[in-house]
Amino acid sequence: MTAIIEATDLSRRFGAVRAVDGATFAVEEGSITGLLGRNGAGKTTLMNLITGQDFASSGTVRVDGENPVENARVLTRTCFIKESQSYPDAYRGRHVLAMAPRFFPRYDPALAARLVEDFDVPVDRMVKKMSRGQRSALGAIVGIASRAELTLLDEPYAGLDAVARHVFYDRLLADYAEHPRTIVLSTHLIDEAADLLDHVLVIHQGRLLIDAATEDLRGSAATLVGRAADVEAFVSGREVLGRESIAGIASATVAGLDAQDRARAASSGLEVAPVSLQQLIVHRTGAPIHQEVAS
Amino acid sequence: MTALTAEIPAPRRIASVMRIHVANPWPTAILPWLVLLGVHGITWSIWALIAHYAGDSLEPDAFRYAGGVSWLVVYMMVIAIQAMNAGFRFALGYSTTRRDYYAGTVAFFAAMAVVYALGLGVLAMVERATDGWGLDGSFYAPAYLYDEPFAVIAFHYLALYLLFTAMGALIGALFVRWRAAGLYLYFAGLALAVVAFVWWALDAGDSLVAFFRDNPIEVVMAWTLPLSVALAVLGWLVIRRAPARA
Repeated sequence: MTAIIEATDLSRRFGAVRAVDGATFAVEEGSITGLLGRNGAGKTTLMNLITGQDFASSGTVRVDGENPVENARVLTRTCFIKESQSYPDAYRGRHVLAMAPRFFPRYDPALAARLVEDFDVPVDRMVKKMSRGQRSALGAIVGIASRAELTLLDEPYAGLDAVARHVFYDRLLADYAEHPRTIVLSTHLIDEAADLLDHVLVIHQGRLLIDAATEDLRGSAATLVGRAADVEAFVSGREVLGRESIAGIASATVAGLDAQDRARAASSGLEVAPVSLQQLIVHRTGAPIHQEVAS
Repeated sequence: MTALTAEIPAPRRIASVMRIHVANPWPTAILPWLVLLGVHGITWSIWALIAHYAGDSLEPDAFRYAGGVSWLVVYMMVIAIQAMNAGFRFALGYSTTRRDYYAGTVAFFAAMAVVYALGLGVLAMVERATDGWGLDGSFYAPAYLYDEPFAVIAFHYLALYLLFTAMGALIGALFVRWRAAGLYLYFAGLALAVVAFVWWALDAGDSLVAFFRDNPIEVVMAWTLPLSVALAVLGWLVIRRAPARA
């Protein structure tokens, strides 16, 4: 495995605001990486830097070993679909799709046509008159059908309902299996996307908080459920990421449990449940992550 | 992965950017002609009314100074500003470099200038052949263009369009880079340029008047070309560091 994206001490400041603050990480070629974090954490800014749409204040980012800024060699292999993508006023959905093969050399119009059916996008409607979900679907179609070596999707399904999101995951994975590529996906809906992700980058207030394989991250903590006294006895002296209790039953999310610890917990009458990625990240980022309500 | 080459060659990338602006040809390529024909129609009706009521007392050059066609020049500048702004974030969202975007957009403006120059030149010839639309009117070749040959009329419009679209490209670039602050900068710069020009013109006095009096229109218009190039280059310097923020 080689890194397709390498960022070193990457920062972007807007006046006093550090939108991205000293991020160092690598994204493996062929992986699906989740870029997670709260609203305003710096996810979009980071993706703008990776695709040369914005300029770093300091530090470097390399894609295929090259600086992506104004670099057609890198950019003709890249597709970045963002929720806030703007389209010319006069564009209808079909104009957006008609332009795509000119800019994405591996774009598959037949796949795009199938996706239009799947998402039920009114391609003859003016883009500016489309709903948020329809605009998102349009972007998602271009993002999947472009088959770019490096595909970045920023909140690609904002405004899509649960059914449409399911279609999105399904079609993305199906096409990824046939045409492997590197995908970086930013999202609020962590648990929904969790099964998709090989690797997770969590960004909080501009700083990279977690950079780990999804499996390692999941194994790094567990939730113990049992009688309050038993739970307290077991967790004392451990790093507790969060706790809840109802009547005499308590649950605690604990970091760094190894196989021995798990066995001991089970023998002392505690139930060991896997921690969800979302819970874990909520704990790590200190406050509840904003959950988008499907509309 | 070493020694990457761009997956799309540069000429095709630039041609694709040009296509962005005519994916829907209505606002840039169709509507201006319809409105122009509309303005022409209204102008002609007014001429017909005046000619009808004035009868023999009408002066021979009464309809020689119509300004309807100049509307199109200003319209195209507005189109240029809008296209530069609307296309920028879309094109960058489609993985275009700023360099390719600006080159393609300016090439599109130049292509439109050629189309409009030839179109207006042809209409001016039709105007002449029909004895000024039957009323001795000059809509497409008014005032100083009245007696000029096709090549001069077309070149005049070409240079005029290049000048105004280059200005539109610069204004659009300023807006893309700095939003409203960019426009303040532009109008402040324009005001300074006008003041400087007036100072220089007062100083130059007779020689300036002589320049316009002694030189044929094609020479005068040719002098706008370096200015257009300068404006377009300035636009590039502005947009090359513009972020694609929402």
